[in-house]
Amino acid sequence: MAFLTLWRRELAAHFLSPTAYVTLVIYLSLAGGTFCAGIVRQSGTTEPPLMQLFAALAFWMTFLIAVVCMRVFAEERRSGTIEMLRTAPLTDAAVVLSKYAGALTFVLLVMAPAAGYAFVLDALSPGIEGIDTGAWAAGCLYLVLLAGLCVAAGTLVSLLTRSPVVAALGCLAVIWLILLLGWLLEAVPGADRQLAERLSVTDQLGTFGRGVVDTRPAVLMLSATAVLLFVSIRVLESRRWR
Amino acid sequence: MIQVEHLTRRFGRTTAVDNVSFRVARGEILGFLGPNGAGKTTTLRILACALAPTGGRVYVNGLDVFTQSLAVRRRVGYLPENLALYPDMRVGEYLRYRGRLKGLGRRALRIRVADAVTRCGLAGAERQMIGRLSRGYRQRVGLADALLHDPAVLLLDEPTIGLDPYQIRETRRLIAGLGGRHTVILSSHLLPEVETVCQRVLIMNRGAIVACDTPETLAARMKARAELRAEIRGPREAVTDVLRRVPGVAHVSGTGDGEWGQYACLCEDAEDLREAVFRAVAGQGWTLRELRTVRRNLEDVFMALTETDAPEARAETWRF
Repeated sequence: MAFLTLWRRELAAHFLSPTAYVTLVIYLSLAGGTFCAGIVRQSGTTEPPLMQLFAALAFWMTFLIAVVCMRVFAEERRSGTIEMLRTAPLTDAAVVLSKYAGALTFVLLVMAPAAGYAFVLDALSPGIEGIDTGAWAAGCLYLVLLAGLCVAAGTLVSLLTRSPVVAALGCLAVIWLILLLGWLLEAVPGADRQLAERLSVTDQLGTFGRGVVDTRPAVLMLSATAVLLFVSIRVLESRRWR
Repeated sequence: MIQVEHLTRRFGRTTAVDNVSFRVARGEILGFLGPNGAGKTTTLRILACALAPTGGRVYVNGLDVFTQSLAVRRRVGYLPENLALYPDMRVGEYLRYRGRLKGLGRRALRIRVADAVTRCGLAGAERQMIGRLSRGYRQRVGLADALLHDPAVLLLDEPTIGLDPYQIRETRRLIAGLGGRHTVILSSHLLPEVETVCQRVLIMNRGAIVACDTPETLAARMKARAELRAEIRGPREAVTDVLRRVPGVAHVSGTGDGEWGQYACLCEDAEDLREAVFRAVAGQGWTLRELRTVRRNLEDVFMALTETDAPEARAETWRF
């Protein structure tokens, strides 16, 4: 009950703010533009157009999540409304999870129309082989998991600061660290190459984008999301001590 | 209903609340007085479960605020000093949202919101955006929120701040009416408010309790050394000397220009010396234009207890 009430409020707060609509327009424009540019550049090659779409969605998603997550807790702490949540009969877990769910829902709602660009391309290109819906669904699943992980990281960063701007920048830094983890690991001399591949977002996105649903990265991302949310709950609890 | 035992709260090296103990009976209205930084808000935030204590125990209705925090929060309504509301919500929408968070069912929610709106004078403002409300109306929304789930304990931190005189009177009447049904702790800088509304007053300074009693008893303790004011026409030094020789007068100070002088006589105890002073002045053939006892109120108690630095000095001066 309390979870649903908070989740609804969180989601409504995003849509009541003009920032949400500006973010939506900018995200859809940039993702669409990048996708079109990618299609034009890769014409004549064998690379499936879906990969261009997923890459565009994932790249701009990082900025989208930073903008969304900066208001999750940092804004509540800055305005002081967090005090009203703390003194209401709610568990810290309900507060963190509902805010996380609200932010993730908003991110996915913004990204959803952009995921449909593949079918727009399909409709506008009658002579070309159609879109593989299985591969599209698998790629979207990976993006949902990635968004879940990045929003969890953003929620934690947002809890650590009172300034929404610092939260956005910190969130962006942590998300890019997650995205580049595999690539950074490859650069370390003597590092396990297989582990680097497993942690590489681009490699995993390529696998899912081809329609192969690999449960190992999925479980890894879900576990990392759970750990980040658990730490967030503990951080919120610790606020009573400070 | 509320039991605070050796409560201590530190922020780094600063001790905001230092070994404070007090009790509040069911249905009682307790006033919290003290200058800024006295520890009032910190104590209220601990009672509201917004902060954890560094030391000591706090019980609300027998429930520990730290280990049974959720159960305590169901029984406590809290109006913070720095009230923060969502500016993008309407008044009615906000109260329904808060009611749902507090676990009210659909039917109870409708009844309780309507009741809180009526009691706090928000009728007609339910459709207004909170961001466009005046400070006074926002304060009323906060009060309605605190009352929403009909809590056993109400913690009100400066509830009349930002209200106009008419609203202040209405709010005081509302708070006074809450006693009996709710246990109320009212923190305020407005001494007349505490004096008129509260059954008992707790005065804090620098994190410690310096006095706790009924407003009347506290004022009566101040009256333990009565003070007389007189306006007398006569030679200044001679008048001061005569007044000083009146049995029971401890100290005399005089001011004024020309032949009329204003004299303040601090008595050794609470005895009314007006008649003796009159006889002494009349016996010298001087003219007496005014003779009155200075009434000590809660403000004098508050100033006396919080002005001096050392608690021992305060206790010595005012016999607490």
